[in-house]
Amino acid sequence: MSILQKTLHPDEKIKAGKIGSTLSKAGFGIAAVFLGLSIILTLMGSPTGGHESKWARFFHAYVIGWSYIFSISVAMLWIVMLHHLVRGRWLTAVRRICEAMAGAFPIIFIAGLGFIIPLLAGYKDLYYWAHPDAHNHELNHHLLHKLGWLSPNFFAVRYVIYGVGMSYLAWYFAKKSRQQDESGDPKISETLRIASAPAMILFSLLVSMVAFDILMSMAPKWYSTIYGVNFWGSACVGGFAALALIVLGIQRTGRLTRAINAEHYHDIGKWMFAFTFFWAYTAFSQFMLQWYGNMPEETHWYKYRMFGEWQWVSIAMLVGFWAFPFVFLLSRWTKRIVPALVFFSVWQLVFHWLDLYWNVMPSYQWQVAFHDGARIVAGPLTGNTAFHQVGFSPVDVTVWLGLVGVFLIGLGRNLTGNLIPTKDPTLPASLAHEVQ
Amino acid sequence: MATKHHDDTTHDAPATGDGELYGILAEYDTPGELVDAARKVRDAGYAEFDCYTPFPVHGIDEAMGIKRTILPLIVFGGGFTGLIGGVFLQWWMNAYNWPWNISGKPSWSIPANVPIAFEATILFSVFASFFGMWILNKLPQVWHPFFRSDRFARVTDDAFVLGIESKDRRFDAVATRKLLQDAGAIAVEDVYLDPDPKAKAMPKWIVAFVVASTAFALIPFALVAKARNSKASQPHIHIFADMDFQPKYKADTAMDLFADGRANRGEVSGTIARGHLKADDTFYRGLENGSWTLGFPKQLEINDALMKRGQNRFNIYCSACHGFDGRGSGTIPQRVAATGGAWQARNLVEAGGATVTMPNGQLFNTISNGFNTMMGYAAQLPHADRWAIVLYVRALQRSQNASLEDVPPDQRGSIR
Repeated sequence: MSILQKTLHPDEKIKAGKIGSTLSKAGFGIAAVFLGLSIILTLMGSPTGGHESKWARFFHAYVIGWSYIFSISVAMLWIVMLHHLVRGRWLTAVRRICEAMAGAFPIIFIAGLGFIIPLLAGYKDLYYWAHPDAHNHELNHHLLHKLGWLSPNFFAVRYVIYGVGMSYLAWYFAKKSRQQDESGDPKISETLRIASAPAMILFSLLVSMVAFDILMSMAPKWYSTIYGVNFWGSACVGGFAALALIVLGIQRTGRLTRAINAEHYHDIGKWMFAFTFFWAYTAFSQFMLQWYGNMPEETHWYKYRMFGEWQWVSIAMLVGFWAFPFVFLLSRWTKRIVPALVFFSVWQLVFHWLDLYWNVMPSYQWQVAFHDGARIVAGPLTGNTAFHQVGFSPVDVTVWLGLVGVFLIGLGRNLTGNLIPTKDPTLPASLAHEVQ
Repeated sequence: MATKHHDDTTHDAPATGDGELYGILAEYDTPGELVDAARKVRDAGYAEFDCYTPFPVHGIDEAMGIKRTILPLIVFGGGFTGLIGGVFLQWWMNAYNWPWNISGKPSWSIPANVPIAFEATILFSVFASFFGMWILNKLPQVWHPFFRSDRFARVTDDAFVLGIESKDRRFDAVATRKLLQDAGAIAVEDVYLDPDPKAKAMPKWIVAFVVASTAFALIPFALVAKARNSKASQPHIHIFADMDFQPKYKADTAMDLFADGRANRGEVSGTIARGHLKADDTFYRGLENGSWTLGFPKQLEINDALMKRGQNRFNIYCSACHGFDGRGSGTIPQRVAATGGAWQARNLVEAGGATVTMPNGQLFNTISNGFNTMMGYAAQLPHADRWAIVLYVRALQRSQNASLEDVPPDQRGSIR
């Protein structure tokens, strides 16, 4: 064999064996414990933030946690499609694991029903546009035009479309890849390459729409067209960080120990680095135009993040999610030395969560006014910024961890059979991969 | 490949007119064998050697014992310089050397400076990367003694060649040749320097080209410098004369064709265009029998819709100075006061003040034509809108000077 091509080592353990079911069970345990704990904490608590229901915090945290696990699968589906689209080679040895992570979509979207069903049942303390006072002409005259799109029923219909679309894409690419394991037909690679181009367009539309609907509509008066791109950038930071940790975990069980090496980790780390900057770039692009344009319907979203308590979270994001990891991930060693990569992966996974938290939670606190004795809810991002609080609650973290458990269930279900695409024509090149 | 190219490892006829031995080239059949040979040469202690291949070969850096490049550090230095330089540039120009007040905005604000700082960082990183690479690779190098070998020309095509130079302290014509052969070379070849010293010199046409292109590149700067320091009696050069001088007449220019010498063809004197008569003194000028009207024009219906329209127009056009309540506390007087100015906007609602006692017609006229520092709004506001504002100002005057008795009895309880 030439040095550009390598074959799988005969002693390599490439079968998933029990790790899939073990992971699913562990995920189920994590989900049960933390979601149960969240429910208990919620039942013991009382309503906050101008909400009538004590479940409001739970559901806000649920949307964050859901977006978190959704985003990780988004990143993995994206890299799988990109790999096919550009005839990539380095990823092949890791690709089956990416496919398994992307394959968690059905479970993720079922978990998302946890906030979709209450919405359909008339729950009004999560999305302000689902609140009757959103229709108040005096308060929200320019929100009224959006309420045709942002209605619970139509929202749920779109949610189903997103779920089916994303799940189908992930399923299709994983299924074809496994077919190649059996037949060894190189034409399957070609089919996937052709399919990945339209799939990429569909994917981009779906991800943008999910970001618009589920995250951006938390502050329904605000809008930003780059929001979906920014969400995807943040998603890829978290996704590649999670990939590094999961691949390391699988190697710890003695599987794929020769096939995947520092070269592959280096490239995973490079993607994480690239998106760390990409996230900052799009986040600043969004901020810069709105801050400089200085139009009230845009700047109010930033006003509540630049002043009051939230400014400290914003500064933490700038330093923690961008400046610190950017400077260190510039270097080669942080991506090749396992403890360093683990540190930065865990770091970015935490800050990716904080990014979603920062996107959603400022909308938690609703302004309530009394007019002629009647209670009128002015909704999120209103009132004096000095009284706008972060209001951290333990539920924020427990719900997140519970949903990470849900993700592990979805991942574990897909870790079956071969952990590496054994007959992919690009596998020999991937095994011999070397970062120049 | 071994069969395709004649294998003569024992004797290579020296090229004609050879000078001293420059080095030895060895060709290998595959990249893998080249990597192995490079490792052996490195282990034998050689330092002055290099591998030549048509494409980047995995693992060859490690096999040759090449240290990792310091280019990343150079790029980081360049990028950091760009970042600091970009920030300093903006601070110096905007905040220190020439601060310029634009609507009272701060002359130094971090977010506004980020794009320039970012671009400067990228620019300097790229410069450091590009020129650093050239310097580290000792480029440009237009000639090399190995170029004399025909075999060497094939490294850009299909040959994998290792060359050891004679200046290496371990170089020995016999032992080095044997080492390369033992490492599996399919051909080994001695390369001699050209005895003619001119061969080393840069070709004259390249020198001439560099000098000429540098001189040409300076011409625009020379022309600019000349233009800045001289006067000319000739007009500008017009490259597209028919676009610079178009056969048409613009508004308010001279034209000999007409008796009045003007290009403008105004209204014919003594005529008025249809719909422009504006005979209604009250509606168009606020006059009634030669003095300011006290009422409203009869074609306007005084109702809630007109009042709402007036409020809307007032809030857009008037509130910036007079304030939403008409007390003259709009954002512009506030800014003037904050910057130490003395100018004030008139309080429209002051009890017994000039505006309260002013007839409707005069108020309309003030909106239309302005008063003191206030500009007329005739260009922005149609006549009906100006009357709507008059109506709304009257309502403001009423509400801002109201007493409890003005509130309907059944709602008085809700006022504290």
